[in-house]
Amino acid sequence: MTILDGVKAAALLFAAAIAQVSIFSGLHVFGAVPDVLLVSLVALSLLRGSVAGAVGGFFAGLLVDTATLGMLGLSSLVLTLAGYWIGRYGETTGRDRAHAPFLSVAVVTVLYELGLLVVHFVLGESAPAGAVVRSLVPAIVLNLIITAPIYALVRRLLRPAERDELTAEVQLLG
Amino acid sequence: MAVAPPSRSARAAVLASSVQRSKPVPRPSQARRALIRRAVVVVLVLAALTLLTVSFRSPTAGALHDVQGAGSTALRPFQIAATRVAQPFRDAYDYLHSLANAKSENARLKKENAALRQSALIAAGRAAKYKELPKLLHFEQGRTFPKDYRPVNAAVISTPGGPFTHTLEIAAGSSSGLRINSPVVSGDGLVGRVSNVFPNTAIVTLLSDQDSYVAARDLQTGVRGGIRPGPSGTLALDEVQKQLVVKQGDEIVTDGTHSARYPDLYPYGIPIGRVSSVGASDTAAYLQVQVQPLANLGSLDAVAALVPKKPRR
Repeated sequence: MTILDGVKAAALLFAAAIAQVSIFSGLHVFGAVPDVLLVSLVALSLLRGSVAGAVGGFFAGLLVDTATLGMLGLSSLVLTLAGYWIGRYGETTGRDRAHAPFLSVAVVTVLYELGLLVVHFVLGESAPAGAVVRSLVPAIVLNLIITAPIYALVRRLLRPAERDELTAEVQLLG
Repeated sequence: MAVAPPSRSARAAVLASSVQRSKPVPRPSQARRALIRRAVVVVLVLAALTLLTVSFRSPTAGALHDVQGAGSTALRPFQIAATRVAQPFRDAYDYLHSLANAKSENARLKKENAALRQSALIAAGRAAKYKELPKLLHFEQGRTFPKDYRPVNAAVISTPGGPFTHTLEIAAGSSSGLRINSPVVSGDGLVGRVSNVFPNTAIVTLLSDQDSYVAARDLQTGVRGGIRPGPSGTLALDEVQKQLVVKQGDEIVTDGTHSARYPDLYPYGIPIGRVSSVGASDTAAYLQVQVQPLANLGSLDAVAALVPKKPRR
């Protein structure tokens, strides 16, 4: 990943985090909120790998927690793991698959919500499992709707990495 | 009849033999990359856990709290810019929403002129956006407003963003006199209390938060109890014994301070809600009193924090 790519990725996540906390957090549709930041992070992780995903997730989470005056580190923890996991998927089995962004967004939306639920529960805060579960399907649908344009935008911003740049974990035989 | 043995070439024989394959050894660059990758994620997770621990242990004070406040202030212009950029789209959505309402109104009120109804709805929609302010002013100038307090009016910057959050962020902070535990009201009634203060912003924990508790009384019967969050956005008046009388429709207000040694956070008489149902079971010692909050906790544009005129020690 070049320095220019890093600057572009940072700008992308900054804009996505600001848009999320300022605009989209108030957009409730069937009890769910479209998560532009999460989808942007998934796109970045798929295109730039697990390290970029983890680092991007950490700092994006830090931005969100700072902007909302929430508990510092909470979003960072969950987004770091989400970025890393999706990055690994993109480096290995998800590579070059057209459905990878959609599958990743659907799965990571569930894991992200459940991850936040667990962290809130562990910290002894309000953890309404019923409300979270009820909002999962609308959240997945909303995030899938915004996946295609956001992934296309991120792909345009960050050209897909060369094979050599990605970690070669799966060696093809033959 | 004898069957001829299958012919095996030398290549096939070699492929079929049970030769132990050596485990593929990763190239040094791959191993190094994997090590760096794991180190990065471990460091980031540890950093997040450290931040979480520090933030959890001292949520209202400390260096991290100050840094977060400064960071929030630095990010505010970007948030305001984003909100302004999105405003035309919101206005368009509101406009279309108003049009949809106008269509339903047309169906119901067939005799009226369609254009007139439409414009009336749009005007009503615009007026509804500012309905909080006159109500707030009315409450502050009314007789029920606590004498020992002055109101600090503030716009609501962010509303609860999901099922986890029962807090608001308001555009007034310690520089306006707000302190932790300052009561916060809307034009309709009690909203919650200030739970975290920064120089120019503050966090308000709503009545719907699980840790919220307000000493309250039934204005009609004088029965006292504690207001806690109830199911589905309602509140519950707890600790009301079964022999006491609470009726549906009764108004619930804050109970205030009874002993100067143990001052209550909330002054007497702030409206909280109206009793929506009263139930009792054979096994429970207390009545099950459900209260509908007067303030619409999920949609607030402006609130007022109550600051004591005489600073408390």
